[in-house]
Amino acid sequence: MSRAINIGVWTGVFGLFIIVLFGGQSVLAAGLICGLLTGLLGGARTEGETMQAGVRDGLIAAAVAGVILIVSNVLRNIIITPLVGQNVPSTAEVLSFGIAGAAITMVLGAALGAAHFLPGRRSSYATWGILGLVILIYPFLDYSIQLGWLGIVITGLIFILLALGLNIVVGYAGLLDLGYAAFFAIGAYTAAFLSSSYIGDQLNFANPRVSFWLVIFIAAAMAGLFGLILGAPTLPLRGDYLAIVTLGFGEIVPIVFRNLDTFGITIFGHEFIKTFNLTGGELGISPIDPPKLPGLDFANRSDQRPWYFLLVLIILFSIFLINRLRRSRLGRAWMAMREDELAASSMGINIVRTKLLAFAMGASFSGFGGAYFGAFVGGAFPSAFDFSVSVIVLCMVILGGLGNIPGVIVGGLIIELSDRLFLPQITLLLQSIAQHNANNPSLSGLQRFDPTLYRTGLFGLVLVLMMQLRPEGLLPNARRKLELHAAQDSPAEAAQGRTDLYDVEAEAAGS
Amino acid sequence: MATNILEAQGIVKQFGGLTAVNNVDFVIPKGTICSLIGPNGAGKTTFFNMITGLYVPTSGSMIFDGQSIVGLKPDQVTARGVGRTFQNIRLFANMTALENVLVGQHTRLKANLLGILLQTRGVKAEEERARQRALELLEFVGLARQRMDEMSKNLPYGDQRRLEIARALATNPKLLLLDEPTAGMNPQETDALTRLMRQIRDELGITVLLIEHDMKVVMGISEKVTVLDHGGKIAEGLPEDVRANEQVVEAYLGKGAAAQGKGGGGVRKAVVQSAEGT
Repeated sequence: MSRAINIGVWTGVFGLFIIVLFGGQSVLAAGLICGLLTGLLGGARTEGETMQAGVRDGLIAAAVAGVILIVSNVLRNIIITPLVGQNVPSTAEVLSFGIAGAAITMVLGAALGAAHFLPGRRSSYATWGILGLVILIYPFLDYSIQLGWLGIVITGLIFILLALGLNIVVGYAGLLDLGYAAFFAIGAYTAAFLSSSYIGDQLNFANPRVSFWLVIFIAAAMAGLFGLILGAPTLPLRGDYLAIVTLGFGEIVPIVFRNLDTFGITIFGHEFIKTFNLTGGELGISPIDPPKLPGLDFANRSDQRPWYFLLVLIILFSIFLINRLRRSRLGRAWMAMREDELAASSMGINIVRTKLLAFAMGASFSGFGGAYFGAFVGGAFPSAFDFSVSVIVLCMVILGGLGNIPGVIVGGLIIELSDRLFLPQITLLLQSIAQHNANNPSLSGLQRFDPTLYRTGLFGLVLVLMMQLRPEGLLPNARRKLELHAAQDSPAEAAQGRTDLYDVEAEAAGS
Repeated sequence: MATNILEAQGIVKQFGGLTAVNNVDFVIPKGTICSLIGPNGAGKTTFFNMITGLYVPTSGSMIFDGQSIVGLKPDQVTARGVGRTFQNIRLFANMTALENVLVGQHTRLKANLLGILLQTRGVKAEEERARQRALELLEFVGLARQRMDEMSKNLPYGDQRRLEIARALATNPKLLLLDEPTAGMNPQETDALTRLMRQIRDELGITVLLIEHDMKVVMGISEKVTVLDHGGKIAEGLPEDVRANEQVVEAYLGKGAAAQGKGGGGVRKAVVQSAEGT
């Protein structure tokens, strides 16, 4: 009971945060998010409780959060909206939207709470069903209340796709890859070369434009191939050395793309390939053709819903494939290698080949994501693939819990949304408060404060705090948790207490 | 020739200036249980590691089942039919007991990337067979059914030892190398394990080579005992012959003790007694 209230308060505070930042009708989106959180956390009690208890706790948490949502929507419109110079809507409108938001929260909270206590597998089916419904409804809600999150959510989902791939390399196989963005870049540039008119324009011929649906797979294969090329000489290296080599590769690739703006081969004065601008240098290559599908318009930049649904499908399919891998002979070999390389090779696992496969698999996911990213943004630019991309993706994997797919998704959403949505929105809000109160010295000073400048600092802070407080990640898989918290009382220590039988014999002989 | 599963000749292993194994000839007849004993640091585990491909001998030849295995990687040696356990247990700690045994079957399974992604009928059937076999093996070594899905590091010590043997058996070995399998076990567990080793040979027809410090186990089970000291072979033969060998007593208890033993037999008796487990 008190736990449910507690959860309700915390999710409510998160909802308040969203409402204060975005105002308008964002209370509906806040309701959706709070509903998910209260339902998944509040309704999910220890085993053995009844379904009524699940519904009750979900409802209590959601009700508490809902009240906070209504109140904060009212307060936002009374205090902040005038400050920013927006029009204050009528009281009836403010209240009704607040109540609608609260209602969404409570419906979701109760439904998820109930789903948690359905018998057997039906529980997870129902939970996934509700989640699926939310995923389905979200873009329409976003579109109709003009929230404007969709583009950022799509970018976040691309990063989640990358994180899922990196999870194979780091989480399953235990290989620290710090240059993951390189494969992302290779994927994007492959798409740029194959499905834009760029190469043809440079060399004055009409090059064939390969369809997006083919390009994403070619890009994945290309990135996988580069993974093999990089991995073959370096993977026999262990731990730290591999990290350093991949770090170097991650730095080199964007630089190569940046510098290939004067590409040509001249040997002894003979020009084999005439010098030309291969990669567009700093400006990159654009535009890249969007995908074509009858009935869906990917080219319309103001409505990105087709992109969203396509990506959701891709991610679901990826999770499906990754799960198959994990439960197979290969997945087990990866994990065995992570646990104990020497024992794994003594069990017949070819270490180099297995590592190489994990590395190439991870790279192809990245290349796949890169091609999608290129088509979505409409271009490939070297600055989009710098070291920070590798770091962010690695943070997602670690934040969510190494080796755990739901954890990686949650971690990815948290990082991407705070980085690209909340932080810039805080800045925007502060700026507009300052602008509308230019004659108020205490408020106009906000003009000079820009939280986005602190983003790397905040990242670092979050990572340090995570490692201190919850090293197993937000949604740890059971293995990691045990590994990190129960190492003290492992039975292997019993071995230490063994007496060497020779000593006993010698003693017996000596007496 | 075909009667020997392993024939090693003139095996030398040097680590820098240190000679860990010095010119050892060693033969394991098919279908036997052989033991490798000797004081700590005698070179037993080094010898094991050379058989399994973790170390490459400095010189000498190693013929397993009619083919040279010198210079092969550990996984290749395993594929040829050598299974092993480790002196200090090296299970995959954060995988379940069942998964550990499934990993052991790695070389015997054929599923490839494409087959796994498509989950072809063959891959599914193979996975199911592998699971069945893993369960059988766990039962064979005597691991309780309800422990199958437990993280291997959470198993009691004795079960971890047994699980390691099941994992080694899963590689379908012709020769099984056990590195101090009874270390740290109480007498009941030791007895059970001794029976298990016999079963492995009698029921599965696998040749067994063990390194062991517990003389009762060694003397009770082996058909042939080889003694290493300071990297060299000092004695070999039937358990009773080795037990009576002066050099062996000397290696274990020191020169003085051996001389005394020759005279009065007091110390020697102690060794023999402890070896017999009285």
